[in-house]
Amino acid sequence: MRRWFTELSLGVRLSVAGGRSSVARLAMISVGVGLGVAMLLFAATVPAVVSARDARIGARAVDRSLDLPRGEDTVLLMDVKSEFRGRQIDGYLVQAEGARSPLPPGVTRRLAPGEMVASPAMKRLLDSEEGALLRGRWGERVVGTIGAAGLGGPGELYFYQGSDRLTEESGYRVRAFGDAEVAQGVPPVLLLLGVVGLVVLLLPVLIFVTTAVRFGSESRDRQLAALRLVGSDAVMTRRIAAGETLVGAVLGLLTGGLFFLGLGALAGRAVPERFSFYPADFRPVPLLALLVIVLVPVSAVLVTQSALRRVVVEPLGVVRRSGDRRRRLWWRLILPVAGLALLYPLHEGLDQRAEGFEYQVMAGVALLLVGVALLLPWLVEATVHRLGGGGVAWELAVRRLQLDSGTAVRAVSGIAVSVAGVIALQGLLVAVQAQYTRETGHVTDRYQAVAALRLADLDPAGPAMARLKSTPGVEAVGTAAWLRAVDPQGGSMTLRVGECGVLRQFGKVAECADGDVFVVTGQYAPAVAAGTTFGLAESFYEEPTQEWTLPGGVRPVPPVDDMLQAGGIILATPGAVRGVSTPLPADVFVALDPGDTDAMERLRNVVAAVDPSAYVRPVELRTVEAVLVTMRQGLLVGATALLLLIGASMLVNVVEQLRERRRLLAVLVAFGTRRGTLTGSVLYQVAIPVLLGLVLAVATGTGLGAVLQSAANAPVRFDWSGIGATSGAAALVVLLTTVATMPLLWRLTKPGGLRSE
Amino acid sequence: MQPLLTAEDVTYSFGPTHALDSASLRVYAGEVLALMGPSGSGKSTLLHCLAGILTPDSGQVTFDGRDITAMSDTARSALRRTDFGFVFQFGQLVPELSCLENVALPLRLAGVGRREAQRRSAEWLERLEVADVAGKRPGQASGGQGQRVAVARALVTRPRVIFADEPTGALDSLNGERVMQLFIAAARDTGAAVVLVTHEARVAAYSDREAVVRDGRVREQEYAR
Repeated sequence: MRRWFTELSLGVRLSVAGGRSSVARLAMISVGVGLGVAMLLFAATVPAVVSARDARIGARAVDRSLDLPRGEDTVLLMDVKSEFRGRQIDGYLVQAEGARSPLPPGVTRRLAPGEMVASPAMKRLLDSEEGALLRGRWGERVVGTIGAAGLGGPGELYFYQGSDRLTEESGYRVRAFGDAEVAQGVPPVLLLLGVVGLVVLLLPVLIFVTTAVRFGSESRDRQLAALRLVGSDAVMTRRIAAGETLVGAVLGLLTGGLFFLGLGALAGRAVPERFSFYPADFRPVPLLALLVIVLVPVSAVLVTQSALRRVVVEPLGVVRRSGDRRRRLWWRLILPVAGLALLYPLHEGLDQRAEGFEYQVMAGVALLLVGVALLLPWLVEATVHRLGGGGVAWELAVRRLQLDSGTAVRAVSGIAVSVAGVIALQGLLVAVQAQYTRETGHVTDRYQAVAALRLADLDPAGPAMARLKSTPGVEAVGTAAWLRAVDPQGGSMTLRVGECGVLRQFGKVAECADGDVFVVTGQYAPAVAAGTTFGLAESFYEEPTQEWTLPGGVRPVPPVDDMLQAGGIILATPGAVRGVSTPLPADVFVALDPGDTDAMERLRNVVAAVDPSAYVRPVELRTVEAVLVTMRQGLLVGATALLLLIGASMLVNVVEQLRERRRLLAVLVAFGTRRGTLTGSVLYQVAIPVLLGLVLAVATGTGLGAVLQSAANAPVRFDWSGIGATSGAAALVVLLTTVATMPLLWRLTKPGGLRSE
Repeated sequence: MQPLLTAEDVTYSFGPTHALDSASLRVYAGEVLALMGPSGSGKSTLLHCLAGILTPDSGQVTFDGRDITAMSDTARSALRRTDFGFVFQFGQLVPELSCLENVALPLRLAGVGRREAQRRSAEWLERLEVADVAGKRPGQASGGQGQRVAVARALVTRPRVIFADEPTGALDSLNGERVMQLFIAAARDTGAAVVLVTHEARVAAYSDREAVVRDGRVREQEYAR
């Protein structure tokens, strides 16, 4: 045991006291491992960040379903939802009903009518020049800020404002803040996306870490040979190598810790404000952090020992067993086949799966992607052994790869795994997005904004409508009234009354004039015939109070939105419902001046004054689930970080190779070898494995994507543009990396670099 | 008789260290010239300047009447491909190429087709008695065999000057003798001049003329052999 310790510590000493080259190698390893560790620690913080955020959001959530009597301990609330230049703003109007009315978390005092406490980000926005147009939207007087306990994250735009106008009808009553039930369950498909994303982004990082610990291994091997010369045996040499690697890994952990702290400071500001987090939340889950701290050094030592298997360190030098022993395929297939076996049951769709499918998916995806890393060396070797011919640059590159493709493959396996994973994830994302994206079918050429007002008097001749119409940037205002239409069999339909432009927001109405009536068709829409008499009611809860007969000439129109197929809708112009007393309209459609970029914000200001609970949203051609947008952003950020990481690793690898071969390069230059030939040779040496890696990655990624799409019950489709973009970006990284090594190559082939010859 | 290769007052420094200090030398066509001197005297630097690998700080190097020092890097590279050959101490063969491909490399770089290059290379391997390692990689050949392959590589383009820097420095005396015998005989057959850097008298004995380099200066001595 003592001998072990002595040998390990000798390795430690060698790694720090081996001169400039040892220190440089140690620095490379620690930076490389550090980058990987930082990413792993970052991933380990995600659960903590999410759970802290959820806890605070849960603490301010309220149960709206309670039917409470007014009391000393109750408070009336009204949700306020708004936007400012694309940024979401949420808040509550608060009206305390007694001395013991609860305070929302993060708020320290009761708010008088008009007084507002805003999140720090909201206050900054209101105080800023940019926020000038937002100031006064709710007639607020900002009297303080909300503490961290009441906010999801520091970037959130959130507020509470005191009111004295809330009633039981307009608001709802609660006795306390805090609703643990608010944490929403994640739909299985989104969970699938999440777990696949996690594996796809983290696996290449692990591969990168194992590559990083082998930075500069050739000079380390020479050092070990010198030790053999002075009497160290093979086993001792391995232990010394382990000690040396341990230093790199431990320093890598420390460097990673520093990177992680820096990353935390940056990431808090870089993420979208809805997902911002407090520095205090940015703590890795202890168990996961412990795993990183233990696994990184252990895997570093294992990788070093495994690398030494192919190297015979002799007293007079190092021999690499790279000769004619060909790589075997069979054992490399075991892991990907096992991965496929785990993923296969998913082709029936997630609905058929029991809970806990995520572990099965994670394992299946991880095994399949590790399979890419295992298959790539075999594929490169099998292919390059069949290559021949070509010019000198090609021949030099091919022969080099035939002799030793391991180094080149190590450099590209990370990129192959990343590309395979990202392609699969992108395929799944596109398919899921198709499921979660609604083609609203809205016609945007007439109206560009819509607001649902509950509390305002929208009498066309009233002051509220006059205010809306006179808002600068508002060109026209259309309204839609709503009635419940009950057919003779007791079935309920919706009757929308509005001018033709408004009706086009609900059905694909082509020709239209006042007096026309349309029935929106759909899978679940009941059949209606002209002459049917409907009872009309003003709400779902009221009984019909008047009758209306569907006139002749009613025309069927398809819905603009699949969502509207759920029930029957009759669209009527005012001329078709003459004699019917229609309630005041609630939906306001607004045409905005397209040249006035602030028109929407002015409209929001006016609407907030008329009805603070109304939400003004743009009429959109399509809506995408926000979480998918975030996931796509996350994938983009993750994939970019990954490619940069791998690019850095490749750069180090190629530079190291060039340095190792400087003597040979010198000789080639002495022969009169053109610089272009050497450059071409380096390019081919990188490009051949990368090309093969990308082929393997595209094949695996599309296959995996197809399985995951089936799992998500989505039709299998291949996003060729995404595949092309991902592969192209990877190829670009490789090209840029190689180009970045050219100055070194040129320096090494300059006369000054040859003087050792 | 006009010299084929000359160095006139060549100086070269590595930073503050003066490696060559007004060194002058003449090399005639077909002769074998040994550059001798202690370690660090500047012999290898002089060889690199003569071969157009290093550009002197001052002075002139001419080959066949052309000023090498004034040539562009591309032109000097072309000269090294066509008119010069090189043998280094450790052979410096490209490890991933077979011995035959190594010998063919200068021809390929000069634009000769693969088949023709390999045919000519095989002849040279035969002549240097290493045809049996043609298909092997340098790592699979012995040191002596590897050095003979390196000599074949230097001669295959039929250069007019061969620069040899301690060509037997890594070999035992028996192997070194054999390599020198074959090398010098082949060079004389092709009419190439040889500039031989060595510190071994027995290697220098193969030369027609010796020049001693000391402290960056050259003192020539002529021998009638």
